[in-house]
Amino acid sequence: MDRLYRPLEEKLNGVVLTPDQLTSDHQTNFGRLHHWMPRFVVQPKTHQDVVETVRFAREHGLFLSTRGAAHSQSELGINRDGILLDMKSMDKVLALDQQAQTVDVEAGVVWRNLVHYLKKYSLVPRVLTNNLGVTVGGTVAMAGIGVASFKYGSQGDNVLEMDVVTGAGETVTCGPDGPEEELFWSVVAGLGQVAIATRLRLQLRRFKPMTRTYYLLYDDIHPFLSDSEKIMDDSRWDHIESWSSPCPQGLKPVDGHRQPFAKWFFPYHLTVEYEEGSPPDDVAMLAGLTPYDNLYTDDLPTIDFFERMIPVFELWKKAGTWEFIHPWMECVLPWNIAADCINQILVDLSPGILIGGHILLWPAKGPSSRSRLFMRPEGENLVGFGILPAIPPKYWDQVRPILENASRLCVAMGAKRYLSGYIDFTQEEWETHYGDKWDWFAGCKNKWDPDGLLNPGFVPLRVPPGAARKG
Amino acid sequence: MAVRFGTADWAAALKQEINGSSEYRNAADKWGVGFNGNLLFVFEADEEAPQDRSLMLRLSGGSCQDAEFVDANSHPDAGFVLRGPARLWREILQRKTMAATAILTGKLKVEGERMQLLKHTAANRALIHCTASVETGWD
Repeated sequence: MDRLYRPLEEKLNGVVLTPDQLTSDHQTNFGRLHHWMPRFVVQPKTHQDVVETVRFAREHGLFLSTRGAAHSQSELGINRDGILLDMKSMDKVLALDQQAQTVDVEAGVVWRNLVHYLKKYSLVPRVLTNNLGVTVGGTVAMAGIGVASFKYGSQGDNVLEMDVVTGAGETVTCGPDGPEEELFWSVVAGLGQVAIATRLRLQLRRFKPMTRTYYLLYDDIHPFLSDSEKIMDDSRWDHIESWSSPCPQGLKPVDGHRQPFAKWFFPYHLTVEYEEGSPPDDVAMLAGLTPYDNLYTDDLPTIDFFERMIPVFELWKKAGTWEFIHPWMECVLPWNIAADCINQILVDLSPGILIGGHILLWPAKGPSSRSRLFMRPEGENLVGFGILPAIPPKYWDQVRPILENASRLCVAMGAKRYLSGYIDFTQEEWETHYGDKWDWFAGCKNKWDPDGLLNPGFVPLRVPPGAARKG
Repeated sequence: MAVRFGTADWAAALKQEINGSSEYRNAADKWGVGFNGNLLFVFEADEEAPQDRSLMLRLSGGSCQDAEFVDANSHPDAGFVLRGPARLWREILQRKTMAATAILTGKLKVEGERMQLLKHTAANRALIHCTASVETGWD
């Protein structure tokens, strides 16, 4: 038995697992690019368990990584030779305040479970990610983007208060304003670098029971973007969601090799909530928009709308692509170059790369977020763009340069990467990504995680000499 | 048969390659339209090449009007200059390094309106492919 097992286990109410008890799931994340073996997996039951685990890691010089549903794709949610803190075991809804429309939850609560808990009150978190199988703490540490982000910003923007355990093992209650706001904003989209959130108070909103979704189709990105400006600037819509979908056209030479190519279309799903028996006026809703086609209009109970992606994920799982490598390349593009950038990437992108995945677009409003570390280009209007493939491992070497150059092209044209995906930045690229926030972020790291314990191996923030050693 | 790099014959072979390429014609149909699309490739002297060499390509609308090696490493008619060590160019032309990677990582220096070049990435990738397709004899 590991000599540290008993001393660690005795401090906790939760569970401590050793490598012989782990499944392969604990050694990787959704990306399936990295396979690391932790020395211990801790499944905490309480806030105090997290405090004790951090203090134990400090005392014994062990790196400590946090993990929610592990939907990240780079070196997050996994740990090598240290402690992996599996926060899904802290999954309680703690308190609902219907008057204030807030809910307090533990960090390991899965969004889908929270949605179901709240539905009888007709309340919902303002922003939900497409994948509801991820945890509150996990997505807030990344930013958390969804189909209502154009109105409400990121999930992190809708956190009103948090209890966190810093890398020094101290408990702090912090909020977006007030004396501990710096700590708060270094936890939101902070990749778990400075502290671990254990309790979060989320802003909710009332939802109407039904949704109507208009399935519009655009055959060119320019009218799609032009209509997106109108859509985001008026208050008609509650949710907006878009993709780029290939219509295969045959083979053409790319670098001398004939490969499939496509005409890319832009499906746009615009959704409005409504009261039972009072459906929206379709003509009024679509006034001023210029789609290539209006394909379908779908009415769904709003709860089903929130869960609309579950059947898609189930299909991916049935087809086996859920187990493939997911080196997702997501970024936020400046509005003025978005069309050129996306077109340049799509023109040579083989649609075959997207089996079990898709191209995601999300028009967004920059000022809707206050987050300091959710990096995005300047400007009122922005476009999120993601290539989200599922790659059989044997093709990774072939696909990797395509995705890396797509990332570089986007960044060179002014984009900021969204960091849950596949990131292979150099130190210089990391510093460029954070720009004038880099020093602030590094300062927060040094202040609250002085031994550099938390979530090593991804963002290379500077830590002082004496940082934790492995093992 | 391999054509010796740096000669008028090589430049002529490249022009023929570009103008015979449906890949380039389609990818670059907007290149040089409404802006100066002439490109100067500067192969800077290094351990593999004793002196600088520059290749001037006059390009617009998906075709090459002229290709020639010139003496200077700048040219008044060039809309863009791509500058890098000869060893790197050789790796690109031998397909050991992707030109797009070299440009995006800054290994190949771009002079001219960089954003315009990036907006036509596919055109320039196709151009580099044509360049790499010339059967080349090296010094």
